[in-house]
Amino acid sequence: MRGFFRRFKVWLIILGILAGIWFIISGLHSAIGTLKNGSRQNTECTTKERVFDQAGILTEKEEEKLRKLIAKRERQTGCDIVLVTLNESLKEYAYAQKEYITEDKYVMLYADDFYDEHMFGYDEPYGDGVLLLDNLYREDDGWAYSWLCTTGKAEGKYSGRMIDHLLEKSYRFSLISPYYGYKAYINQFYHDMNGFGLVNANFSVPLLLVLSLAAAIGFVVINRGGKAGGRTTDARTYVKGKKAKINHREDQFIRKAVAQHRIQSSSGGSGSSRGGGGHHISGGGRSHGGGGHRH
Amino acid sequence: MIYKCKNCGGNTVYHPDKKKMYCPHCEGTDSEEEVKASSITECANCGAPLEVSRYTSACRCEHCGCYAILEERVEGEYTPHLILPFQISKEKAVELLRKEFQSRYFTPATFLSTATLEGMEGIYVPFFLYDYVGTFDYAGTGTKVRSWRRGNTEYVETSWFRVERNLEIDFDRIPVDASIDMNDAMMDLLEPYDPGALESFQKKYMSGFEGERYSEGMMSLERRALEKARRDAEELLRETLSGYTALHADRKHLNLDRQKAEYALLPVWVYYYNWHGQKYAYYVNGQSGKVLGKTPVSKGKMLAYGGTLWGFLFLAMLLAKMILEVL
Repeated sequence: MRGFFRRFKVWLIILGILAGIWFIISGLHSAIGTLKNGSRQNTECTTKERVFDQAGILTEKEEEKLRKLIAKRERQTGCDIVLVTLNESLKEYAYAQKEYITEDKYVMLYADDFYDEHMFGYDEPYGDGVLLLDNLYREDDGWAYSWLCTTGKAEGKYSGRMIDHLLEKSYRFSLISPYYGYKAYINQFYHDMNGFGLVNANFSVPLLLVLSLAAAIGFVVINRGGKAGGRTTDARTYVKGKKAKINHREDQFIRKAVAQHRIQSSSGGSGSSRGGGGHHISGGGRSHGGGGHRH
Repeated sequence: MIYKCKNCGGNTVYHPDKKKMYCPHCEGTDSEEEVKASSITECANCGAPLEVSRYTSACRCEHCGCYAILEERVEGEYTPHLILPFQISKEKAVELLRKEFQSRYFTPATFLSTATLEGMEGIYVPFFLYDYVGTFDYAGTGTKVRSWRRGNTEYVETSWFRVERNLEIDFDRIPVDASIDMNDAMMDLLEPYDPGALESFQKKYMSGFEGERYSEGMMSLERRALEKARRDAEELLRETLSGYTALHADRKHLNLDRQKAEYALLPVWVYYYNWHGQKYAYYVNGQSGKVLGKTPVSKGKMLAYGGTLWGFLFLAMLLAKMILEVL
């Protein structure tokens, strides 16, 4: 048994270091949060509520837990953190404002308006904050859309990629239960606001499970030692002087031929672009950033 | 017959490190004298019957532990021309085996334990060494293809060459094992032996080891030597033909002319290990120290190590992901 652990000493050390780094970063974020942000300045905000479960998918207890977490994270990020759930079509709502609009932007309009109407913002009305709108209703195109609306310093911090990452992560956790999805949203927002926003590793956990399994299988296969040993002789081992005597060697040129053909030049490139991350002015004339997710 | 120590009567054996005859009892060197047995199947020391097969030429008496040499099997038509005395002692062979397999993950706990290693034996394996002069005659057409681009046009130039080669290859002592009991592929992998260490046969080198006389004839084994020579010759020819994109042979003829064939005994340490009804064989070249053998695999260990590694890898990846997400 002792030999068993000795073999894995390196791994235990690696795990220890990684866990250490994680704790250091967490501690750093917490410290940054406490030092950097003062108390809330916005007095005009129309509500103290942050969790608007209009779709009714959270239990009373879960809502209470989310409110507590939000209160803590708001102090640590200096941002209002709002959560809105819906289960209704926003088509009419959107068309009442705009003549032509695609399904994915319905949620954007609603989220921006919701934020502006309640005059959210940590530092001032329409100021620093974030709002997640999760609409469970499947619009005409068959998709259910959600939107992350960023304002003020959150708008400055969030790139399109970071928004994609946050929404993707929140969605993955919501597959366990909606509560976990929203909790992931709040916590990820906190880390994003206090971190550098350098990398957002978008690896799903099942993918990691498969990757690590493949590596472990590879290790077993390599170490099964199927081969008895390699060859240690070569073509010269039993040759006197270690080389062949060349009595005759001739490489005589006979003829050559040249063929030519035109190359079809390939024109243009194809690229794909991801949505989200766009900055825009809301109906109320306020600047918002944001991005969507559908499933 | 056996070699006895003149001083103490102990069994003197050849010592690979001292390169001398040595008596393990009184630690005397070169104190040997021959003691004949009355019968080939009887130990010259204690008279107990020896367990010998048809091909055994030297063995250890199960009863008294003396090493006996069966003279009739190293004489007459069975007299080896050459012998390569053991250069690796048993202690060294054990050390080499341990070194090779110690770091492997799935070996059962009893593998390479001191008790099982006791059974390791040094064996003089019969070989035939063949000398050939080979002449390789080759004629054919070679093509070289070169392509380049100018503007929107690609040019492909193909050149044809007349290619001729005549090589003379001097093969020296290609070994082929002449023991039915030894696995041919394993014996091939144990090569090479340094031909410079070969000596004229003396039976005292066999004392302390087991031995076999050849069980296959020099003529019937030549097929394998020719195969080896042909393979090497092909490769040497190929080396002189590099640079061509494609080759087409019009004439290709290899003539191998045997110059000599010698009967030699070469040293091999053999260790057998039984695991779950399967017999695993390990070989150590008694001259170069090269180790051969498949790792016995304990399924339990394999699952335990594989599973633990999977867990650790997954945790490490998960932690790395968590870190990257909050950076």
